[in-house]
Amino acid sequence: MTQDLAGRQTTPGASAAGEAPAANAPPSGAPGTADEPSAGGPTTPDATAGRAPGRFGLLGWLRWGWRQLSSMRTALVLLFLLALASIPGSVLPQEGIDPAAVSEYYAAHPALAPFLAKLSGFDVFGAPWFAAIYLLLFASLAGCVLPRTYRLARSTRQPPPKAPRYIGRLPHAAGFRADGGPGQALHAAAALLRSRRFRIRTGDGWVSAEKGYLHEVGNLLFHVALLGLLVSVALGGLFGYKANKLLVEGQTFGNTPVGLDAFHPGRLVSAGDLQPFSVSLRKFTARYVTSGAQRGQPSAYNASIRYNSQYNGPMHSYDLRVNHPLLVDGVEVFLIGHGYAPVFKVTDGSGAVRFDQAVPFIPVEQSGLTSAGVVKVPDAQPRQLGFAGVFLPTQIDVGGRLASAFPAPDYPRVSLVSYAGNLGLNSGQPQSVYALNTSQMRRLAVSPRPLAAGQSIVLPDGLGKLTFTGYRQWVSLAITYDPGQLPALISAVIALAGLILSFLVRRRRLFVRAFPASAAGDSDPGQLATSVEIGGLTRSDAAGGFETEFAELASEIMQRVRGGAAATGQAAGEAAAVGPRRFSSQGE
Amino acid sequence: VTRVTRPHRCAHRAAGVVQAVRGLLAAFAVLGAASCSGGAIAQSTPLSNPQSFVSGSYSSTYYAPGSRPAAPRVTGTTLAGARFSLAAQRGRLVVLNFWGSWCAPCRREAPALAALAAQFKTSPVTFVGDDVQDSPASAQAFERTFGVSYPSLNDPGEQVALAFHGAVPPVGIPTTLLIDRTGHIAGRIVGEVSYRGLRALITRILATPS
Repeated sequence: MTQDLAGRQTTPGASAAGEAPAANAPPSGAPGTADEPSAGGPTTPDATAGRAPGRFGLLGWLRWGWRQLSSMRTALVLLFLLALASIPGSVLPQEGIDPAAVSEYYAAHPALAPFLAKLSGFDVFGAPWFAAIYLLLFASLAGCVLPRTYRLARSTRQPPPKAPRYIGRLPHAAGFRADGGPGQALHAAAALLRSRRFRIRTGDGWVSAEKGYLHEVGNLLFHVALLGLLVSVALGGLFGYKANKLLVEGQTFGNTPVGLDAFHPGRLVSAGDLQPFSVSLRKFTARYVTSGAQRGQPSAYNASIRYNSQYNGPMHSYDLRVNHPLLVDGVEVFLIGHGYAPVFKVTDGSGAVRFDQAVPFIPVEQSGLTSAGVVKVPDAQPRQLGFAGVFLPTQIDVGGRLASAFPAPDYPRVSLVSYAGNLGLNSGQPQSVYALNTSQMRRLAVSPRPLAAGQSIVLPDGLGKLTFTGYRQWVSLAITYDPGQLPALISAVIALAGLILSFLVRRRRLFVRAFPASAAGDSDPGQLATSVEIGGLTRSDAAGGFETEFAELASEIMQRVRGGAAATGQAAGEAAAVGPRRFSSQGE
Repeated sequence: VTRVTRPHRCAHRAAGVVQAVRGLLAAFAVLGAASCSGGAIAQSTPLSNPQSFVSGSYSSTYYAPGSRPAAPRVTGTTLAGARFSLAAQRGRLVVLNFWGSWCAPCRREAPALAALAAQFKTSPVTFVGDDVQDSPASAQAFERTFGVSYPSLNDPGEQVALAFHGAVPPVGIPTTLLIDRTGHIAGRIVGEVSYRGLRALITRILATPS
């Protein structure tokens, strides 16, 4: 790495560390450049080492660095790097999204994981190197936009440049002759161009006109909008947060870390920044297609909820549906999933009820919504009890195996395996509520027959009894607060508008020169004649069409000039040769 | 940028289903682990108070008199069915512990809380729990297991935690708040309390005129 760095530094200015010019460089071999032996002395022992920094100086280096940074090439490279740097974020498990997967990764790769962690591999988007690319891109864009804005502002106040002497050499050129004096012709041409909203500058024998500043405006808008997009994303990352919550019918949750299942705050978000709303789920309904090829496919979801925006605040009703989120206090609450929560009642060996609640089971397949889950009864006596099993909304028997034929609860059954022993909860180690650690438990000999609502399993050895009392439904909610969302949308729209503007509008210049011409043929010698030349120039003609516009303008100028000079039919017949790289000359 | 997974949408594509289910399962596997402990939350939440001591997931904060935020007016029903009002506890130090029977760190800190509640029985100290994301049957079984004699509010919807939003919000489970005799928050412990740590904080607040 150092070698690479050093190697690159050799080219522009050898050992010059920027601040230490000439004096430091010549006695190179030793102290001054000790930390970069490969770069300093040996390769450039002679004058070049001293000259480069002398020529550049600190300010020069800074200016050079800034110019490099703000160049289009650097911006593109950084953009590419940003894309490249995001790849590990999707390949490696991320702490903020799936901490359990990170733990698994540690277990699977004990040697590699700590090394990756040191490189922020599990927190890519919060990594210093990711921030470095991001900030450099930001600086690069800013470095590009600011000077250009300044130049645009200046150029809008500056008149167009003088007309070149030889207009015929311009990419687009035309010419014609007309009666009347040059002044008269130029006046007519200028008037026409002005009416076409060109910016006009006139001089001795010429008119120059410019139009299409909006091209650069569009270009700048695009760049500024990109900056805006970066800022918006940063806003979201700093002040936004994401959270998840699984909510069973009849339950309420408060938007506080205490009430959420998973909480991913932005860098500057603390618990007190969460909007203090509450949501309770009254009823969830799902409708499914009951026949045909689409049988079992969901046709509609609706979660009827009540919510308030602060502690003890008035409650409102709302129907939460897919892509129809609840907006409360600037926070969006999305419905992202649903499932069943069978209700269990467990009495322990002493005969006391130690557990009585709905337990969310997680769907493991979609066509029949077979759902898996566990029940933990850590306070059962004399042994802690655990149950693992499945909930089958429409239970069928497929060759002795239990399955669910339809996602709606037409024939709901649960099938459980029972355990007794130590759940491992009292050790204080947080564990998933959806997994049972049976390493310190004994499987009980209870036939796992499917239970209907109201049926019970009686455990052996007087350990207790479990009753399946019914089921409720649950919804999973995604809670997102992203203050950068609207700015990002606006930025994206502006970027698009700017891009379109810069593609559609082209900056173009038109020059007109007029010379007194010797009256051709046998016309009245007292009558003045003028030779008019028109040239056109455009820098960016992405959309094409300047050629046509130029031809039209040239012929309009001709008509105007000739019309001003009371054109005769004869003059009108003398068509101007109009076209690119052509100059219908009357022999200058 | 919001990423919304809609498992049902890809129900007709086998691969999609597997992916979605796997994602959902993974997501929920985390939920259970992450919701408890306050570990991850406390770690990723900057605690702005300069007096706080943050070490891993655990942090203990003492608020000096004069810089103590007022506690909200909280009322609720205990697991046993009695009414409880925080305001009625004026003149006493209130130790408010947010917990759930399913939360492993809560289970480990429970003996310390039970012991301290017994030790300060004769002092002007009230211990009260706030049982979140739980059911009364499980909560009462927990209390019996650990010999918890003080009352707990039945708060499955985390409303008490929300009430503290403007003052000192609990940042995870377990969180313990200490409210002084004048109804101001004088201390907060995020994560599992230790017997010595909580006792020291109680003693310090009792000894300080507020």
